[in-house]
Parts: sequence; C-alpha cells; structure tokens
Amino acid sequence: MAKLWTIIKREYLERVRSKWFLIATFLGPVFFAAIIIVPAWLASRSKATSEVYDITILDATGTGFGQRLAAAIAGDTTDKNKIPQVLVLPPAELTKAESTATRDVMSKKKTGYLVVTAQTVAGETASYAGRNASSLPDMSQIRNALRQTILASRLEKIGIDNSRTKELTFIPLEFSTDRITDRGRGGSGMASVFFGFAIGFLLYMTIIIYGQTIMSSVIEEKTSRVAEVVMSSVPTDTLLVGKVLGVGAVGLTQQILWVATTYVLLKAREPIMAKLGAPTTTFTLPEISLGAAILFLSFFILGFIFYSSLYAAVGSSVNSEQEARQAATPLMIMIVFAGVFIQPVLLNPTGTTALVLSLVPVTSPIIMPIRMAVTGVPPLEMAASIGFLVLGCAAALWLASRIYRVGLLMYGKKPTMREMARWISYSR
Amino acid sequence: MADNAIDIEGITKRYSGHTAVRELTLRVPQGSVYGLLGPNGAGKTTTIRMILNIIAPDSGTIRIFGQPFDDRRITERMGYLPEERGLYRKMQVRNVLKFLAELKGVRGREADRRINEWLERLSLKTPEKDWGLAKVDELSRGMQQKVQFIGTLLHDPDLVILDEPFSGLDPVNAQALKDTVVDLKRRGKTVIFSTHLMDNAERLCDSVCIIARGEKVLDGAVTTVKEEHGRKNIALALAGDGMQSVASILRDRSLVRRADDSNRFFEIEMAPGANPQVLLRRIIESGASVQRFEMIQPSLHQIFLEKVGGNAPVGEGDAWGRVEEGMTGHG
Repeated sequence: MAKLWTIIKREYLERVRSKWFLIATFLGPVFFAAIIIVPAWLASRSKATSEVYDITILDATGTGFGQRLAAAIAGDTTDKNKIPQVLVLPPAELTKAESTATRDVMSKKKTGYLVVTAQTVAGETASYAGRNASSLPDMSQIRNALRQTILASRLEKIGIDNSRTKELTFIPLEFSTDRITDRGRGGSGMASVFFGFAIGFLLYMTIIIYGQTIMSSVIEEKTSRVAEVVMSSVPTDTLLVGKVLGVGAVGLTQQILWVATTYVLLKAREPIMAKLGAPTTTFTLPEISLGAAILFLSFFILGFIFYSSLYAAVGSSVNSEQEARQAATPLMIMIVFAGVFIQPVLLNPTGTTALVLSLVPVTSPIIMPIRMAVTGVPPLEMAASIGFLVLGCAAALWLASRIYRVGLLMYGKKPTMREMARWISYSR
Repeated sequence: MADNAIDIEGITKRYSGHTAVRELTLRVPQGSVYGLLGPNGAGKTTTIRMILNIIAPDSGTIRIFGQPFDDRRITERMGYLPEERGLYRKMQVRNVLKFLAELKGVRGREADRRINEWLERLSLKTPEKDWGLAKVDELSRGMQQKVQFIGTLLHDPDLVILDEPFSGLDPVNAQALKDTVVDLKRRGKTVIFSTHLMDNAERLCDSVCIIARGEKVLDGAVTTVKEEHGRKNIALALAGDGMQSVASILRDRSLVRRADDSNRFFEIEMAPGANPQVLLRRIIESGASVQRFEMIQPSLHQIFLEKVGGNAPVGEGDAWGRVEEGMTGHG
C-alpha cells in the first residue's frame, strides 16, 4: 500500500506542479464562462437585428398589403430608416424584379427581399431571400409580421374597423420554458441544457486529455526504462493502478477547480452581462443534490478508470509517441463516438438511443451524466448503468494489466493486434 | 542454503516460438561478485528479470537469501540497474531519487540524508553547485549515469544486480563503478552483473556463469573455471623479428593446437598430449631469442570463445542475431 501511495504521489505532484496544469486550470473557467455567457448574450439578442428593416418588399398583391406588412415589420418605430422599402408591381414583372433585387443583395445594397403575392394574402405562401435568411430572430419577426398582416386583412374583410385590427392582432408574447422531471419542476429548460452540455463536454475533454496524459507517461517510463526499475520494486498491477489513480486525481483536482471557479464566475455573471450591455435574464443553475453530485463524480471516476487503463495498455505496447497516436485511434473513435451523441441526447434525453448509450460502458460515462442533468433517470436505469460500467472497468483493467506487464518489457517493432492478443495469455 | 544469495533451480522461460532460458540452474554465493556472461541475446536479461521477479519463470524455482523470490520484502534488499538507463527527464534529481528510495522502503529524512551523502560522494553536490536541484535532463549523460547508480544503491541493498553496467560508461565513471563494486563486496554485499566484456569480468568476478542460447555453458569460481576448462596455455614472446623463424614450428599440429597472435605475444594452446618443454627446445634450436615463455591460464575470453564460439560464430553471427531478436522483440 505504501508503495502504491508513492506512485500515486509522484504522478500527482509532478503533474500538478507543471506549468501546463496551471495554464489549463486557469484557462478552463475562461472557456466555461464563454460557453455560459456567450449563448446567454446571443439569446439576449433574440430581438431581430437591424438588418431585418433593410429589406425590399416586392408587393404583387395589388391590395396595398406590402405597405401594411412594412409597418408591421417596423413595429411601433417612427424611425424612417426602420421601415422596409416597398415596391408595388404587377405579377407579370415579378420575375424581373426578383433578379434585380437579387443583384442588389449581392452587391450589398440590401440585406434581402420578401415577395408577397395573392397567395400570401390568402395565407398560403410567401418567400424571402437574403443574407440573414439563417437568422432565427429575423425570420421569426418577418413571419410574425406576415401572420399579423394576413390576419388584419382578414379581419378587415369581415368588417372590423381598421383602427381596431392593430390592437387585435398585436401579440407581444414572451414565452418562458420550464423543465419538469420525475422529481418535479425545476430550472429553466435552457439552463439545464447548458448544464448538461457543460457536464458532458467536461467529461469528454477530461477523458481525452488525461487518457493521453497516462499514455504519454507510460511511454516515457517504457522508453526511459524507468519502468524496469519500478517493476523490480513493485508489482506491475500496482504501477498501473497507481498511475490511473494518480493521474485521475489530477483530473479530478482540475475539474473541482474548474467547477468552483465557474460557479464563482456564474455568481458574478450579472455584473458582467450588464457591462456587456446585455439585459440580465434570470439564469438559475439547476439545483444539484448531494446524491446527484456523488453520481456525477462516480461516473467521472469510473469513466476515467475505464478509458485511462486502456490508454495505459496502448502506451505500454508501443515505443514512441508517433506509434501511440496511431495505436490509440480505436480508443479515440470510442470516445468521439460518445462525444458525437452529446447533442442528440441533450435534445432527446429519454429516447431509445439515449437509453442504450447510457447503459453501454463505452458511452455511458459521458451520456448518463448528460441525461441526469436534463431529465430524471429512473433508479433502475441508473443502477444498471453503474453496474455495467463497473463491470466494464473491471474488464478494462484486467485486459490492460495483461497487456501492460508484457508490453512494458517488449522493445522493438510495434506489435500486431494478434501479438497483443497473445500477450493476454502470457502468464507473466 | 542460506550461504547462497541466489539459488536458481532449473528455470525455464518460453515465449511463443522460442525458449529464452532453458533449465538454468545456478548458485550465487553470498558476498561474492558474480558475472553473468554471454553473447547478446543469450538470456542474461531474461534471467535477471526473473531474479528480480519482473517476469515469472514457466517452471523451476528461484530463492533469494533462502526466501521465495516473489516474497515482496526481498525486493527491498535488491538493487537493480537496467541495461539501458533512463530516468524521468522532467523531474528534479532529488525527487527522482526520493521516489526510487520510497519504492524500496526508505522514506522521509533518512532518504534525504542518504541522498545528500551520495550526491556529495559522487560530486554531484559541491559547495558551488547542487545538481540535486536540477532537472534530470539538465544533467550530462555521465551525471545521469551517476544519478542512476545512486538510485540503485540508495537503499543499501544486500544484493545488487547490474545489467551490462559498463556499456556506455565513460572511463571515469567505469572506474567509479569498479570501485563501487569492490567496496560493496568489502561490505559483504553480493553483486551480480551481466556483461559481454570478458576483461571486466575477469578482473572483478569471484565466480561466473557463461550462458548461450538460454542454456548454461559452464559456471563456478573463476579460478576453478580456468583450471577445469582451460588447457594450460603458453605465452611466447621473442626478441626482434624472431617470430618468422618459429612460424613453421607453430604450424606443427602435433605440437600446437592453436596459436593466437596477441600482437605483443602469442598465446599458444598445446596440442593434446604435447609437451611444452619440447616446444621450448625446438624454438631455442631454431635460433630465436626467447624473451618470454610462460605457462599461463587461459583468459576468460579464450574460454568463452572456445565454449561459446566453438559451435557458433562469435559476435555478429546470424544465429545469435536471431536469438536476440526473439528475446527482446515481440516474437
């Protein structure tokens, strides 16, 4: 035990003292602050941009629909620059007008153009083309204005007074979303998605970074032959476990520092947002119970053990960093596979894909915490996921220790998969 | 039993496709300097790794100081210097040494005290400069080798195992190593080293074991080995260019089995049953002026060549090349 501690201590202290660790630890929160503040800042800009006014309305309705639409897009503003330009024309000239308008957009005279026809008045179709076509707030403002204007025309047709239509069709709705889980209602939907994303991303990054750290550390010991000296003093399994735990503790330290600083930054978020000139929206962190925190921690530790022991095995079987990069590709694919599913699972945390991925040890260390963050996970699924992951860790450690103890002493050419499979059967 | 530092009884280690060590039995007396000799790839490193319990033999037993070799407390009485040396490059020298000491059960202040002592003894710590505070990769190659010695000896092991300790050493460090080995022996420690440099082995070792292709060729005390395995050889040196005149005599296969030109003298191996006195008489009769005619014991080098080189080419031989590849590669 004393020797295991010696190995853990060396791995931990040597890394925590390194410049690299300090830099990463301080840059991390800046990064997290960015991913928390920037989306909120963007969200605060969900009112349409000024570009939405800089469009041309090609009005082929012959009913003055275009003028009304322009007024609806402009809203209550009296600023003349904020009223879109309207071009009234007969339907026959529409094609020509569209190509002129396209050229205007291409030469940056205008942002875009909106075509309204008789079908638009009937509530069927309308079309928009422009540089800001991918801006959701802009498009939703145009869509709302279209709806409002169509509704107003219909109301007028059935004889409702022009002055009243405006008040009837004006609906400045603010839509707030709240999440309900098995445990009740909590936090805003947006906040929990951010939170889930942050957790998933944190685990994903940490596993990649520290998995590769372990791999490099094993390669260093092997190529410098320090491994042989250490192996003459302690069993190889102790060395392997000491490494995984020592480097894991570094990862954990870094995460705790990250989470703590991010928490402080989040507390100080409102003043920062105010400085950026963005309106402060209420953004409450989802409350994390002690039980949930322990579960997050368990998934991190187990996931780390699973991947880092495999990384150690890869490190022991190669002779250089270059070889290692290639040999670690299958592992990388496994992790990236999990990473690719972060977003789909965030969007549909209770679907079959999410369920399966949160049970398979390869993906569960990343996917299950995300599900936990955004939805309630039934205790049975949780228990099964942890159970499988523990089994997965045991298998990974077993496999790694068999490869590790042979690989560390094998110099020369890179082993093939078949040779590595044979190592597993070696006694020692 | 307890008189032996190491008792190895019929150990075998197989890798797929070849046998690295076959039925090897050897005993290393306590307090002796023991040489494990053999060409590259003979199984020396594999044997050493088994003694150190880094790998386990497929069959056979190893006892160290009378204890089973996998008794973990035994490892704290052993010090090991691997063939190719290296340390954690980014670590401070002092921290590396402390780490190695702790792995051998020496901790805290005691470790610090010994590290200081050793750093001073090998002049890595002088009033001007304490290399202990530098990082390993700031040290010269020679200094790194010194640090590695310290790491091997810091816990004052009773059994010191050095794998090819002389390879890559500069003459100053090589001398320091020899002095250290002698000093260890004086203090009752047992030292085993593997080498293919017979000169060093002959000078330093009390006993040797020659292995080739994973099998023991011969072993025993150096004096016994020489008596038993070497025929009495003759060192012959003649004044001037007298060698020319005796060339025909040396070619007489009824008298001389082999004559080895060592430049300053010939090392002559007599033919079986031939009388050295007859040889001397004939040389004198040939008119040559004899400066040296001495009955000498064959060198370990000669025994080695005879025993190992007899049925396989020495040095770069293909046969050995293959064995070595098999042992250190992934076959």
